[in-house]
Amino acid sequence: MITFTLNGRVVETDAPATVRLLDLIRDDFELIGTKEGCGEGECGACSVFVNNLVQNSCLIPIGSIAGANIQTIEGIIETEQFKILDESYSVAGGVQCGYCIPGMIMASAALLSKNPHPSETEIREGISGNLCRCTGYNMIVDAINLAAQKGDGIWQKK
Amino acid sequence: MKLNDISTSVPKKDHKGKVSGQLPYISDVKVENMVYGVLYRSPIAYGKISTIQLPNLPAGYEVVGSEQIPGPNYVKIIKEDQPIFASEWVNYIGEPILMLVGKELNTLYRLLNEVKIEFEEHQAIYTLEDAIYRKSESGVTMASYEFGESLEIISAIEHGAHQIIEEEYDTGYQEHVYLEPQGMLALYKDDEIIVQGSMQCLYYIKNALLSALACGEDEVRVIQSATGGGFGGKEEYPSMMACHVAVAARAVKKSVMLVYDRSEDMVVTTKRHPAKINYRTSLDKDGNILSMCVDLFLDAGANEGLSSVVLQRALLNSAGVYKIPHFHAKGFVLKTNTVPNGAFRGFGAPQSFAGIESHIGHLSKQAKIDPLEYKRKYLVKQGDPTITKGNFRDPVLMEEMIEDLLYSSDYKKKKEDFQRFNQQNQRYKKGMGTSLFLHGCGFTGSGERDHIKATVKLVKTKNDHVSLKISNSDMGQGILTTLCKIVAKELDISYEQVFYPDPDTKEVPDSGPTVASRTTMIVGKLLERAARKLKTQWLSGVEQEVEEHYIHREMIPWNEKTFTGDAYPAYSWGVNFVEVEVDTLTGNVRLEKVYANYEVGKVIDERIMKGQIDGGLAQGLAYGYLEKMTSKQGKIQQKSISDYGPPTSLDVVPIDSKVFDNPYTDGPYGAKGAGELTLIGGAPAVQSAIENALQTSFQQIPITPEVIINSLWTKEGEEG
Amino acid sequence: MAEKVTAYRFDRIDETLSQLNREDCAIIAGGTDVMVLHKSRRGVPPKFSKPIVFIDHLSELKQVYQTDKDLHIGACCTYTELLEHPLIPTPIKSAIKTIAAPAIRNRGTVGGNICNASPAGDMLPLLYVYNAKVLLRSVNGDRFVAISDFIQGPRRIQRLHNEIVTEIILPSVLEEGTHVIFEKVGNRNADAIAKVSFAGFMRINKERIEDIRFAFGAVGPTMIRSREIEKKLVGKTLPLADAEIDTIVAEFDKIIRPIDDQRSTAVYRKTVALNLLRYFLSLKQ
Repeated sequence: MITFTLNGRVVETDAPATVRLLDLIRDDFELIGTKEGCGEGECGACSVFVNNLVQNSCLIPIGSIAGANIQTIEGIIETEQFKILDESYSVAGGVQCGYCIPGMIMASAALLSKNPHPSETEIREGISGNLCRCTGYNMIVDAINLAAQKGDGIWQKK
Repeated sequence: MKLNDISTSVPKKDHKGKVSGQLPYISDVKVENMVYGVLYRSPIAYGKISTIQLPNLPAGYEVVGSEQIPGPNYVKIIKEDQPIFASEWVNYIGEPILMLVGKELNTLYRLLNEVKIEFEEHQAIYTLEDAIYRKSESGVTMASYEFGESLEIISAIEHGAHQIIEEEYDTGYQEHVYLEPQGMLALYKDDEIIVQGSMQCLYYIKNALLSALACGEDEVRVIQSATGGGFGGKEEYPSMMACHVAVAARAVKKSVMLVYDRSEDMVVTTKRHPAKINYRTSLDKDGNILSMCVDLFLDAGANEGLSSVVLQRALLNSAGVYKIPHFHAKGFVLKTNTVPNGAFRGFGAPQSFAGIESHIGHLSKQAKIDPLEYKRKYLVKQGDPTITKGNFRDPVLMEEMIEDLLYSSDYKKKKEDFQRFNQQNQRYKKGMGTSLFLHGCGFTGSGERDHIKATVKLVKTKNDHVSLKISNSDMGQGILTTLCKIVAKELDISYEQVFYPDPDTKEVPDSGPTVASRTTMIVGKLLERAARKLKTQWLSGVEQEVEEHYIHREMIPWNEKTFTGDAYPAYSWGVNFVEVEVDTLTGNVRLEKVYANYEVGKVIDERIMKGQIDGGLAQGLAYGYLEKMTSKQGKIQQKSISDYGPPTSLDVVPIDSKVFDNPYTDGPYGAKGAGELTLIGGAPAVQSAIENALQTSFQQIPITPEVIINSLWTKEGEEG
Repeated sequence: MAEKVTAYRFDRIDETLSQLNREDCAIIAGGTDVMVLHKSRRGVPPKFSKPIVFIDHLSELKQVYQTDKDLHIGACCTYTELLEHPLIPTPIKSAIKTIAAPAIRNRGTVGGNICNASPAGDMLPLLYVYNAKVLLRSVNGDRFVAISDFIQGPRRIQRLHNEIVTEIILPSVLEEGTHVIFEKVGNRNADAIAKVSFAGFMRINKERIEDIRFAFGAVGPTMIRSREIEKKLVGKTLPLADAEIDTIVAEFDKIIRPIDDQRSTAVYRKTVALNLLRYFLSLKQ
């Protein structure tokens, strides 16, 4: 039995230790915001927070997260940070097909929490593991930049 | 929200669901009594199936193959050459032979390993070169067209010419890498199969299902689910998957889900056709073009699919944006025993533009004129004939667009600065390149009139909400928003009052597929007309419905046999300038700055247009130097995203773009097509920038570091 | 139903070592490589032929500290932890920045990168030129192995089944006066696997080369380093003469034998490896 915190709630599972965190949260906990794009850690669509650090849930065997604090996009939807990102992505036009977006939001939130005023290069580095095939990234970079300005002061509250 | 200027951006209709991740894509859907399907695929490139040995299947696991298909065993596209399940011959590695269905994927994968099929192998055609060599053999040439100036006249011109330049140009595969892999679900009901999934063309799928299931109109229904990127990859390919799940659902009387792995998706789904283009151009002593012959070969892969139509567009763009005297072109679709190639944003045009821009650039060197200046000498103008004796009847703003970029990029000074930089820096070399291009909007020729015959419907409820009933897919390009804007603006009601529910063939008429940059221009125009009609009949608080049908504006009639007439009703235009820095030690290319001017009639939403520009350019630029896919003995070599290498956020730079107004009569608010145009200029601009940096010529894309290092090596050898 | 697997995750390293002594297990640190290597198709967990042991939570494996001029790096430090650690030398940090992307760097470990023994391992060229040693621990005690001996071939390492890599030691790395460079050549600027990589190390005293080392990645089954060739440069003064550079490049030309694969060609790899070497040797220090 593996116990961990998922979006603020202590949960447990008897699934085998090698099961990918991605499959567990999608299949057993029915959280569909975490997407599978490649299954090899190359696209970032499955990004989640593990103890506040963004990681690829397709590469995480659940046996290694006992006691950890896991957050998915569903776990941050109610936060002030998410609301700022939501609005910024809308204003900057960062969303097209949407499949990369929950992962992109997680990467954006992770970046801003660590570095509330990133440079353009730092933004590009921050989302470099999140593939987007629709936007060419620039409008996502703009969105993060906007979120940094609008959300001045809220990123370190976490 | 009331819309004043149509171009002013509004919040996208699907924003909330997407940003929160709660909008379900097909792989997020689970239904009762659902089983999974996995496909057994041919391990060989060409041969005959001799024996099939199936494992003992546990209860609840079944095999579905050609015998379970109620109708004929082909996927209805154009030709009847693509089996749903190969039953006798296999023509490429990865071709589906049968499907195992059952509850647990784990068990299915194990069973898949236990299927034993023996083949009698035959000699396959693995490369386009080989296919060109064997093109007169039966079945190798799948389609061909020829048009233009008579070869006798060209021969006479060549005879008197100062010089004849011949070049051979190659373009590679391009893989879509839509972020959402292909996925399809067939919901089983006793009297109806509902197929839902990631798709661009609902009625293509419905027609394929009517044929495969040999059933009545009301026995199948197709619903689009949220689609995580298409780029043409979800144009014709999903028809095959739909047949797989629908046939299986019918056979096992359960709902069947088929979702591809990324590596499976990369290896077996359609890609952009690799092409070989030969140019033969005669010049006078000043380097002026006297005549040009183009031979174009497309690698179709194992089935024809849409290749003949792709070839048409490739040929129609073979002279680029230029008025070339005495132009002749012919083209061939050739079969190889490799994964079938298909639609990809640009649809044959990116290959042609890469080739012609490269060739014209090289000719400018013969004339000792700056490439851009040389290109401008041949630029078409309003009223000029097209290469198929059609007409560029609308204003052409290319000169203004070029002038604007010359100014904003400081082209002349930049080029001089780069030259100085290159003299001083041993390792890094900078260069600037340009591309000029157009895109014919909508279907080629009379396709809209003869094949599509689009119909749209608007339905108004009692509370005065208006719904769009059309069969077009939003795959990220934003039509949920732009088409609603057109209707809201025309009806003069608020944007929030207009809805665009997920298209469902039970509810919507066939307004055509979501392809060919036709949606805004053709479907948008029909919706504009429907809205105008509804407005004149508007009765508040009453349910109302209006319908509109496509009306063809007759121009110079298109004749596919002679390849003459107006191939397109309208053209969108573009100019790209690109600056690069090349590392001569590693051959790596770094984009430094990208400038882009476009003319798409009228922009329906500025933000959405910018999204198309940035995204299309990222794909187009990468097609020129970054993305590399190869096939070896019929096997795709790059099975992961990183091995293939689409751009990351660190590979793209900010794009300085502008869109010029030039309203088109037959588009809604003057809009023309925009989605494909933005990809087309990327690769040729990158090539010319790399050539400028290294002062050398290339005859292929992608210009990878391997190609660059090889060229520098050869150059070094020649110089000493 | 997913298949049953045996997995261990002990709170302490001695318990982990005892288990490894009893049973041959697959060790998972960050898992960013092994999860891909053992990957199944969509929807099914990766398959391991042995029981698995998780180690990346063990605090003993996450320390970074200094003894004299040597630097000790805990094998389960993630790349991100190293990037943020003040003791880690800048060249190593720049190498880490070329690894994948932030989400992978938050999980992948330096010990994992070594034990994965990929010919394209991003940390490896630098570890070779730093003369890194690997500290292995088992119930029988500790032993040190030079990294070049530890890595024997692609995915082949000299680890006994009852051992864990606990530390990577970089001897004398904190000494002054060294010049180190690292270049990774990938197909794009992030999330790329090296097609060629090169690390160069030089210590000079008044224009005289006291120590010089080179390592090449992704051009052979393991990193390519030659102490014999390096020795030929010790004692020479900078700048090196063209003929001296040519000789060294020619020597490496003989021993670098890359392959063609889906990422690049043998010709490219060799040409670029030698280009980078020549460039390093020609740099004004």
